[in-house]
Amino acid sequence: MNRTLIDIHILQTVPPSNINRDDTGAPKSAVYGGVRRARVSSQAWKRATRVAFDDHLDRSELGVRTKRIVELLATMIAEQSPDLADRANDLAAETIRAVGIDVKAPKKTGADKKAVAEAGYLVFLSRRQIQNLAAAAIDAADAEDVPKALKAAKVKDLADRDHSVDVALFGRMVADQADINVDAAAQVAHAISVHPVETEFDYFTAVDDLNSDEETGAGMIGTVEFNSSTLYRYATVDVNRLADNLGDNAATQRAVQAFVEAFVRSMPTGKQNTFANRTLPEAVVVQLRDRQPINLVGAFENPVRELEKGGRVKAAAEALRDEAREIERAYGEQPVTTWVTRVGTDTASLDDLGENVALHDLLTAVGILVGTRLEEQS
Amino acid sequence: MSVVALRLAGPLQAWGSGSRFVRRSTDIAPTKSGIIGMIAAARGLRRTDPLEKLLDLSFGVRIDQPGQLLRDFQTAQRPRRDRNGDLDWQSLPLSTRYYLTDATFLAVLEGERALVEGIDEAVRAPHFPLYLGRRSCPPAGPVVLGVSDQSLHDVLETWPWLASSRVQKQHRERVVRLATIRDAAPDETAVESIRDTPVSFDPNHRDYAWRSVVRDTVEVPNPHGVSDPAPEHDPMTVLGG
Repeated sequence: MNRTLIDIHILQTVPPSNINRDDTGAPKSAVYGGVRRARVSSQAWKRATRVAFDDHLDRSELGVRTKRIVELLATMIAEQSPDLADRANDLAAETIRAVGIDVKAPKKTGADKKAVAEAGYLVFLSRRQIQNLAAAAIDAADAEDVPKALKAAKVKDLADRDHSVDVALFGRMVADQADINVDAAAQVAHAISVHPVETEFDYFTAVDDLNSDEETGAGMIGTVEFNSSTLYRYATVDVNRLADNLGDNAATQRAVQAFVEAFVRSMPTGKQNTFANRTLPEAVVVQLRDRQPINLVGAFENPVRELEKGGRVKAAAEALRDEAREIERAYGEQPVTTWVTRVGTDTASLDDLGENVALHDLLTAVGILVGTRLEEQS
Repeated sequence: MSVVALRLAGPLQAWGSGSRFVRRSTDIAPTKSGIIGMIAAARGLRRTDPLEKLLDLSFGVRIDQPGQLLRDFQTAQRPRRDRNGDLDWQSLPLSTRYYLTDATFLAVLEGERALVEGIDEAVRAPHFPLYLGRRSCPPAGPVVLGVSDQSLHDVLETWPWLASSRVQKQHRERVVRLATIRDAAPDETAVESIRDTPVSFDPNHRDYAWRSVVRDTVEVPNPHGVSDPAPEHDPMTVLGG
């Protein structure tokens, strides 16, 4: 079987920051290798990645996740067929019901008589799915028995075809219609620091600009918790499953490129204005494998310590290279190809793993190889 | 009968046998339903496909490095696109998820040779990606350790200790005692029942049956040990008893 899996390994230093915090406001952490590490949860970085898709993909390839699915569909029905505008809300509600998604009639309060039915939970549909549903609703509008006509038009299948790129990558769960769930083709690990981290506290005072008395004290005082770390970030995309979800080789190729680029460049927004911690990775290693994805986090189970010669990044890059080679040796798990995008001399050891290219060229090369392998398979 | 051994290690794992809604717990060791689910996914079964032969497997797990419990607090937001195309995010209910951090387990499955070999191959080249109980917990390094003709019990007893060398050095004794949790034999007593036999992973009617397990310990050598195990504590000897 011709499998194609894309592993993305990233080393990224973030300055003092609080990208992802727990319910007490402290930066998230986890114990690994017996010591406490900084942690950024996978869901935080997945959201950052998904938001970044806006920059890399056309909106027609992205989905909408909303409870107000009826309203959205009604708008589209009215746009495509203006003479149905009066009935659009009812027609849309009927169509969503025919998909199997429960929508509740709105509470008619005095203030808002035009309220539209809502789904009980978030529904994640692609733009093309919504367009297809609108077309089906318009076709069924003239039928005597609208629900029956919708059923005959197989609207449920329409909601299970033409998935958007973000649904195909991150999955979709529909609580009461599990058979139109989509299994995510991308897997993102929690990012952890390669070294031990203790949380630090920044004590701050804020001064009242208009208070000109001499002994004013502070307008307010407080603390912000933060840490700074070099993170190991890992994600993998199962290209075959992504192609199953998208049903289109060209779209799959674009989706892989968009995911790699968005995952590399994105940054969760937690406390961004306080710390301005926008950095780009020191090193990105992308491996195309044909058997199983391999997470190299074991490289950092022994926490990296700062060396006399070179800092944490140098030691981390060497540990990552050694782990990759050691797994190749011990398990015979040789990647098909490895590309490396990196900055500075501290990361030079990673050139032992693969070709050193700029990110733009890496994305092109990944796209071409993914495209070729998908073609060979079909 | 043959066995296949798996190494389950990574910064985070989560093995729940009774989680619902916004509080997602983890057990102290991998569950049978979790491992059968992982193998079913590796073999390319959909959630709605029958599990059939996989349910005949015997399962045992050894806690080589227990790790620590981590509470993770998760917020969720939903995006909404304004009419002018901008994204706007609204908060959803908070959820609490528990993880095991820094843990390592030896999991063993026993069954017919062909089935066990099929599992070994499937885990080496899985159809759906593997994860340790939750999708955000990919395993560190390869999972499968190989197939052999020993019994499940022998493997749990004789497989070298998988804890990291740091943990091994912390234990000074030459022999360590590791906890095991395994399927009970039909005639075994002192068993415990947990709801952990998968019947169906179909999300429309997910179902688990009861499973009888035995909690036990095994002694394995510590390659980094330097001292003899402490003698059994027997206060009666002082009394000449």
